[in-house]
Amino acid sequence: MKFTGNRALILGGSCDIAITLARRMIEENLFPILTYRNEKGRDYILENMENSPKKFSSFYLEFGTRDSMNSLFSQIGDDINYMVDFVHGNFESLVASADADRIYSYFAENVSFRAEVVKRVARIMLKNKRGRLVYISSSAAARPNHGQGFYAAAKLASEAIYKNLGLELGGQGITTVTLRPGYIDSGRGKEFIQTHSKEVVDKVPIKRALTKKEVAEAILFYLSDSAAGFNATEISMDGGLTAGK
Amino acid sequence: MDILEEITKILSDILDIDDRNISPETYLIRELGAESIDLLELAVALNSRFKIDVNDDEIFLRKLRQYITKAGQQNKDILQYLAEKIPFLTRKRLEDIITDLEGGPTLKVKDLMAYVEMQRNGN
Repeated sequence: MKFTGNRALILGGSCDIAITLARRMIEENLFPILTYRNEKGRDYILENMENSPKKFSSFYLEFGTRDSMNSLFSQIGDDINYMVDFVHGNFESLVASADADRIYSYFAENVSFRAEVVKRVARIMLKNKRGRLVYISSSAAARPNHGQGFYAAAKLASEAIYKNLGLELGGQGITTVTLRPGYIDSGRGKEFIQTHSKEVVDKVPIKRALTKKEVAEAILFYLSDSAAGFNATEISMDGGLTAGK
Repeated sequence: MDILEEITKILSDILDIDDRNISPETYLIRELGAESIDLLELAVALNSRFKIDVNDDEIFLRKLRQYITKAGQQNKDILQYLAEKIPFLTRKRLEDIITDLEGGPTLKVKDLMAYVEMQRNGN
């Protein structure tokens, strides 16, 4: 794969897919910059990236904490060519039974905060007239289960932010893609898949969950120069899950 | 290179125009036809070139008409109100802006210069 840029900011860098992606990026001579939201995440990144010292960096960023955002941007400098956004807080509740305060804080953290991060990264990219952003959404944005209303709403709102960025700045060399993975045998999905394996097999036309490697590889492709024609769009990667009834 | 020269160069690059068409008295939107995307690029370029924080709403006087409406609603002296809200412009410039509103967007190159100076001085 060919990449014109080099430095890639990975938000939510301590999840398994992000680490798989970061390792692949290093193989492609990219420099991943992974963010974590707590010490556990930082340690997990360091532990899993120990074979590649000096070929990546990691910084604290907690969605909802603006000090952490200011600190991140003061440290990463003015040269970001790519961004991959994995961050998303979980909030499972039936719409009619959700805690009101939690609704407000959830959208502040997962939509408003993200919008500011995207704005700041876009302005960095504008200086260089080049940038590519991939937002990792979810098949739940298209087809939520019961209890996923707020999660899906925040995903859809975030997708809209990325889509408009690609729409507005495509002419300035900054483009965006949203990827909507379905069931992935990794992270939050792993436990669900292990306990509901029959349900997953029955629902997904390819009869299996995605692997983290498959998803990381797809993200890498969408960052590459070959995928430059994909802009301001959402792409489903769910084995066909959302295609039928 | 002084502030005017820098801003002129940035504007001529972004708008693809001859820099001889740009002076402190030039209107950005009325005369040069700058659009919102151009202003965004301009804000980013000013931030990069002068190493200053740029608030797009402030530098491009986006809340000007809102301030004037609010001053009227609150029975406040418009000039005094604007001087508080837009501290980088002189009273003389604010007076000119008020009398010039009917002609369209009032933003001039010299307003950008004043903003850059204020931010550079840390005010």
